[in-house]
Amino acid sequence: MVISAASREKIAAEIAKYPAPRGALLPALHIVHAEHGFVSPECAQELAELFAIRPFEVLEVVSFYNMFHATPQPRHQVRVCTNLPCSLRGGRELLRRLEAHLGVKTGEATADGRIRLGHEECLGACAYAPMMRVDQQYHEDLDVEKAKSILDGLD
Amino acid sequence: MPRITVDDVEIEVPAGRTLLQALDDVGLLMNGVEIPHYCWHPKLSIDGSCRLCQVEIQGMPKLQIACNTPVQEGMIVRTQSESVRRARAGVMELLLVNHPLDCPICDQAGECKLQDYAYDYGATESRTREPRRALEKNVELGPTIVFDQERCILCRRCVRFTREITGTGELAVLNRGDHSVIETYPGVPLDNAYSMNVADICPVGALTTRDFRFKIRVWFLNDVPGVCTGCSNGCNIDLGVANNKVYRYLPRRNDAVNDTWICDAGRMSYREIGAADRLKHPLVRASLGVPEVTSFASAINAAAARLERLVESKGAGVIAGLASPHATNEDLFTFRRLLSALGTETAGVAVPQGASDALLVKADKAANAAGARALGFADARTLLDRIRNGGVDGLIVMGHDVLDAAYLGGVDLLSKLDTLIVLDTHHSELERVAHVLLPVRVAAEKHGTLTNFAGRVQKVQPAVEPSWEALEDGDLLTRLGVALALPNWPARWDVRAVSRELAAAHPAFAGRDLGSLDNAGALLAESGRAASGAPA
Amino acid sequence: MLKAPYVTNYLTEHFGDDAFGTLAGYVKRGGYQAARKALTEMTPDSVIDLVKNAGLQGRGGAGFGTGLKWSFMPKQSDKPKFLVCNADESEPGSFKDRILMERGPHQILEGIVIAAFATGAVKTFLYVRGEYAFPADQVERAVAEAYAKGFLGKNILKSGFAHDVVVQRGAGAYICGEETGLLESLEGKKGQPRKKPPFPAQYGAFGMPTTVNNVETFSHVPHIINKGSEWFRTLGTEKSPGTTIFGVSGHVARPGLYELPLGTRLDEIIFEHAGGVPGGRKLKGVIPGGASMPILPAGQLDVPMANEFLRERKTMLGTGGIMVMDETTCMVRVACVISYFFRDESCGQCTQCREGTGWMHKIIERIERGAGQPDDIGILLDVASKMEGQTICAFSDAAAWPVQGLLRHFREDFEAHIRERKCPFPESFEL
Repeated sequence: MVISAASREKIAAEIAKYPAPRGALLPALHIVHAEHGFVSPECAQELAELFAIRPFEVLEVVSFYNMFHATPQPRHQVRVCTNLPCSLRGGRELLRRLEAHLGVKTGEATADGRIRLGHEECLGACAYAPMMRVDQQYHEDLDVEKAKSILDGLD
Repeated sequence: MPRITVDDVEIEVPAGRTLLQALDDVGLLMNGVEIPHYCWHPKLSIDGSCRLCQVEIQGMPKLQIACNTPVQEGMIVRTQSESVRRARAGVMELLLVNHPLDCPICDQAGECKLQDYAYDYGATESRTREPRRALEKNVELGPTIVFDQERCILCRRCVRFTREITGTGELAVLNRGDHSVIETYPGVPLDNAYSMNVADICPVGALTTRDFRFKIRVWFLNDVPGVCTGCSNGCNIDLGVANNKVYRYLPRRNDAVNDTWICDAGRMSYREIGAADRLKHPLVRASLGVPEVTSFASAINAAAARLERLVESKGAGVIAGLASPHATNEDLFTFRRLLSALGTETAGVAVPQGASDALLVKADKAANAAGARALGFADARTLLDRIRNGGVDGLIVMGHDVLDAAYLGGVDLLSKLDTLIVLDTHHSELERVAHVLLPVRVAAEKHGTLTNFAGRVQKVQPAVEPSWEALEDGDLLTRLGVALALPNWPARWDVRAVSRELAAAHPAFAGRDLGSLDNAGALLAESGRAASGAPA
Repeated sequence: MLKAPYVTNYLTEHFGDDAFGTLAGYVKRGGYQAARKALTEMTPDSVIDLVKNAGLQGRGGAGFGTGLKWSFMPKQSDKPKFLVCNADESEPGSFKDRILMERGPHQILEGIVIAAFATGAVKTFLYVRGEYAFPADQVERAVAEAYAKGFLGKNILKSGFAHDVVVQRGAGAYICGEETGLLESLEGKKGQPRKKPPFPAQYGAFGMPTTVNNVETFSHVPHIINKGSEWFRTLGTEKSPGTTIFGVSGHVARPGLYELPLGTRLDEIIFEHAGGVPGGRKLKGVIPGGASMPILPAGQLDVPMANEFLRERKTMLGTGGIMVMDETTCMVRVACVISYFFRDESCGQCTQCREGTGWMHKIIERIERGAGQPDDIGILLDVASKMEGQTICAFSDAAAWPVQGLLRHFREDFEAHIRERKCPFPESFEL
């Protein structure tokens, strides 16, 4: 079993909240991501068993949502918002400068596989642009230097 | 029943249905009322996503999709108005934005709804200058189906089929927006007993069967209505014929029998028609030794001579008949008449057995097992016991079904008979022991009726003509009766006349003769259904 | 945590007080008095009537009458009835629900309890967009506090009324803000909107009668109960009463949140409250209500921010996310950014939306590159018209409107690109 007992306990607690077990599939996928970072075929199989659905249905859901992944992910996800309010205030310039800083193109991970640099659609920080989300954390009112130092501080 | 007005014509439709369902129920959809559609299919859940079936409904500000709009008393619908045509043209143009437009090399060409509706509603040239989606081509989804992702219009019929009909769920749409693609799960191919139906319901050239693709352009095919003979379900089919050859079976819709489906095994059984092991010449074994090819006339005479000799020496009581559950009702009726005229009532039928499922496939692996039962042929096991006990010296056998494991599994028992006359469509082990072997036609080569497991009598008709000598069973048996100079025996085979005589002799068949049936068939009267073994 | 709005009113009055987010702080400021009043002194019908009379309109973007929506819930039902709090705020330019969750979670919960009482709902699913981790944490904390102190659960405020709240986090899909897309997602499926009929009030979450309201909509409810419908109608316009929280972003001196009565003039919000366009540059255009809403040019900002006035200018209030663009801005780039977003977020069900969003984006991107053709503008308008009003949900319309708006007011920008075969706005924001 790849999904730990602790995660299974959390998933069971989520299932109890819903009139139909499948309501807890998104919560369960979040729990699996917190533990493994992605939904491996083994995870999909185990989730499918927990929810009495097919592994394919798990994969189908994973494929629909930006925050779910079916393949292993770098340790850190850096996402610079490039939607209109951020673009108007230098979001894309920031992304370009961070590409140079990390030596990657948007959508790629650093050579050491530690950090993936991506762009993101609106994150609801429009007045505090430019901004980026690093893993779960928002960093707002950025300038290039501030952003670089945040990335440099990542483990 | 609500009354609605469609394009100025008032019609009565079933309540509680959506507009497309209701029009389909009354047989008007695409048959008087043209509402093009892709995602909607009469036997699948409503999807509502292709948006092609939009119609104008009086009192509603926007166009509505006919597939999901419930019918209501007094509803006034316009299916051909300017706004409807504009909307359809819009959908068509957008569907073609990413479509490869590779009709010249697409096997769906000629039976493609994208082609059809583009012709009806589309512009003559494409306005898009953008590169089209580049996706995977020639993807083998499983052993039977090849997928072209670029041609897919994401109607999701195939996905719903695997979820709602087979319950196997091998297909899903992954991703979203214009990145959406239909996929199989890694390591889980599209592989179920009904997989090839997805090619039928795919409105475009995205899903094609490995078996049929590139064999022939469909416009060369002539569709002949018929019945699948793979099992006793009697799925309705169209036989796709060209150059006197059957290229494929497609399920033909019959809501009382097979909806719009057919199993893969049944679909592939078309290959038996032109198979290499078809029996092509009458054979007569003089004594022990190699059978010799001869003419029908001399083979029939040889058979008659053997039977006459037996009747003279031991009486007709030692002669028995083993009917084929593949033969038509008319063939079987003639067989029964021949035996009676000879003076024997000893007869049975061997029905080969196989797997069944809850959808279509039945355990009786023959198309007319129920017909044989309805015409009084008992299960062959009693007859076989009688042979074992030495009570039978001469046996007329239709087909080789008795070799099925459920009966004999081999020819040993029959090898001891004084006279064994076999009428068969294909070579079999019976050849080793038969004294006279007579080639007969399969259902796709003749007129007649078949009775399915539920007691539904359905017509077959010749789709192809054998290029060798082969007679219909009934024809051959009639000639045998002539050779035997049986009393009150018809001079020649007339299948329609026999069908009428059958209906007259068996009240359950009244009104179910060849001339009376339409392509949907008709259930036997209740007494006949009971006799046929149909479930109550 | 987000800074408190620059201008506050009843919704955000105490948002400067960090303790307001806690149960104790909320109660100290009079919190849960409205719930107590509704549950102990009012009937469900009288609550619905009060909200109807107040004229509260949904603040999620569509502006549907909240009281009317509640009244669609079946009075008698064999099945449990549910509420959904739509906290999937993802409309570009919108961040008001975020602050309501971060700084006023109990205000939302109190609104939910009152709405549940009015509709007879047994449970609320509060669906927060997945990226809003911190706001979701605040709501979850508040829910736990409310359960602990009897503001949620079996016997709320000893009234005998029971209600549960379940927080679910989305996972990054804009379409889950569409109410039936949300319901699908809530049920653990792809967030693909449902065709209607059936409507959620008959067949909603898990097949049960369901009403979906936005975070801000719920937040208004306690104030209406406390102060009455007449008070509510003293704010805002006759047809659009109350305040809303405008989020101002883009080229303004003071981007941020402003709680102002509906009907406040757009130019007042931009120039008086948000400090106008910095650097002495002129304003070129404003998107008044999130990326789905058609843009207004500089000459049309004298419009009260309420749907009855905005509609006359062929746009709408949407989520009140105001995006300001100065004179350097290339409107083809704006179209490119917005059309990319809608292409990326289309769920992919309906033909027009799936194919139309991609086609529009590709054309716009090509025009921006300098490879546009003279007839591209006509094609864009035609595609946009084919995407309008013909799909399962309003996403396709929302993708078409901004392009139509940009071409209505800034067609010259597009034509200049095609004519000069390059982008003629070197000072514009980087693409």
